[in-house]
Amino acid sequence: MNDYILETQNLGLRYGAFAALGSVDLKIRKGTIHTVIGPNGAGKTTLFHCLTGERTPSSGSIRFAGKDLTRQPPHKRVATGMSRSFQITSLFQNLSVRENLRLAAQGRDGLAALAFWYSDSQRQQHLQKADEILERVKLTALANTCAGDLSHGQQRVLEVGMSLCGDPELLLLDEPTSGMGIDDIPIMTDLISELGKQHTVMLIEHNMRLVMSISDQITVMHQGNILVEGEPDQVRGDERVKKAYLGESGS
Amino acid sequence: MNTTSKTSIYKGITPAALIAVIVMPMVLPSTTLATEILIFALAALGCNLLLGYTGLLSFGQGIFFGGGAYAASLSMIHLNFGLLSALLCAMIVGALLAALVGALAIRRTGIYFVMLTLAFSQMAYFLAYTLSDWTGGDNGLLDVPRPALEIFGIQLADLTSSQAFYGFVAALFMLIFIFARRVIHSPFGSTLVAIRENEGRASAIGFSTSHFKLLAFVISGAITGIAGALYAMLLNFAPLSNIELMMSENILIMTIIGGTGSLLGSLLGAGTIVMLGDILSSIWPRWMIILGIALIAVVLFMPAGLWGGIESLMKRFRESKTSEPDPKLQQEAKS
Ligand SMILES: Nc1ncnc2c1ncn2[C@@H]1O[C@H](COP(=O)(O)OP(=O)(O)O)[C@@H](O)[C@H]1O
Ligand SMILES: [Mg+2]
Repeated sequence: MNDYILETQNLGLRYGAFAALGSVDLKIRKGTIHTVIGPNGAGKTTLFHCLTGERTPSSGSIRFAGKDLTRQPPHKRVATGMSRSFQITSLFQNLSVRENLRLAAQGRDGLAALAFWYSDSQRQQHLQKADEILERVKLTALANTCAGDLSHGQQRVLEVGMSLCGDPELLLLDEPTSGMGIDDIPIMTDLISELGKQHTVMLIEHNMRLVMSISDQITVMHQGNILVEGEPDQVRGDERVKKAYLGESGS
Repeated sequence: MNTTSKTSIYKGITPAALIAVIVMPMVLPSTTLATEILIFALAALGCNLLLGYTGLLSFGQGIFFGGGAYAASLSMIHLNFGLLSALLCAMIVGALLAALVGALAIRRTGIYFVMLTLAFSQMAYFLAYTLSDWTGGDNGLLDVPRPALEIFGIQLADLTSSQAFYGFVAALFMLIFIFARRVIHSPFGSTLVAIRENEGRASAIGFSTSHFKLLAFVISGAITGIAGALYAMLLNFAPLSNIELMMSENILIMTIIGGTGSLLGSLLGAGTIVMLGDILSSIWPRWMIILGIALIAVVLFMPAGLWGGIESLMKRFRESKTSEPDPKLQQEAKS
């Protein structure tokens, strides 16, 4: 039995001559919260883009749930059970919170959503999904509010909520707390650890307190490669990690 | 809690459109003018699906309009097609042309997309100009018939009189209007809005956006093709100007002035422009200057178009009557 849901092999991405991603072998175990950390410019976002399909890797391969999807476009990965949130909030600003979630649920249908001859409210399952996620992310009271009218913290929560609507097996979250005020962070922490019970979560995060408290596994990246990997306690004490972060603040 | 009582496509703006369609021939100076308004309202409707709901600014609408006009005319002249089969033919040709233009243009976004539709528009014009054996070139295609309405050889109505033809166009307009509302409130239509709002996110949640844009083009082209065919039947003539860039511009201007994002806006926009043209062109040959000023004014001061302006007036009126506004009502009044 292979209990890794996602495996990359020699994954690399070059921007011209510059290797933003060297050669990454990342393995994410099913049912865990796996966090990728590292100083700025370490290649975390680049790795993320390769996994979601935003960027095509220059080398290596990505296997997800037993299938090779190295070259699959982003929209096709959703149907295989992979879903993502964005570091920079990316919502349908002029639509209601519920419609944002309903659309995200409809996205799992792929091309079946091309149906133009019946009402979208006939697809009750999408509405139900939206209402279920509203409850889970505690935005029910704001269901009919425009997404653009939410506070920044609420938008971040909706951002994560949308990635839940496609019933993903693997959730890829890019800095979910990005730009969040100190008061809102516990909400996100709770939400993610809650999600970790039902999904495999791969997380990119800067907030160390959050990372250490909820991660099962941590991968530290540095200059496009994996530096250290292990459980929070192992990573916390590692000298190489300290040096990598010190190097950043020193430069 | 809102239990998603989506507006029925037969309520709201549909009866409003029906009333307009019934009243128009009574208040306008001529039935022909009213017919012309409905025909261009159809073209604007098709344009609105792309511009208002998908966020695609297409200069290709004239291709589908002219293509539909030629397809219907030629099939009636050379193949003896009846009214409905000629319209069907125009619809299919409009859809196919839109599929062709769309498939290539949506490979790019932003201004490159717009430039591609412009290039296609120019090409289509020169093609029609060159194929003068078929299209009549500069002189246009003359003697386009207006057959009677027949189903399985049984004549239902003679459309020679302008009143009868108006009745037919009005019925078709209402059918397509309801169809367009169905499209907008379908899974497909809601996805188009998602693409307009944020294409990157739409793709990230699983939609292959290019398929959706392509189908939007095809539906838009089919409706515009029908409009072109009706226009040829109205004039008994298919002028080359149908397929000129100017036609695409006119359709776009009607759509924008009326208000994108509302189908009733398309009727309003077509009505305004066609009437302005009719009234002003007889008074002052340079009336297009006024059209230009009107367009500038709408874009600057009424970004949601005439219909948007009317909507916000109605809203203010309602708010002054009931101190507590109902956000639900405002939402449903749209589209
Ligand atoms: N589009 C790009 N073109 C060139 N270099 C890039 C591009 N995107 C990122 N980089 C570079 O790749 C490196 C890794 O970036 P990134 O993956 O965003 O790091 P992180 O998310 O870990 O902060 C950085 O040095 C960055 O400057
Ligand atoms: Mg980053």
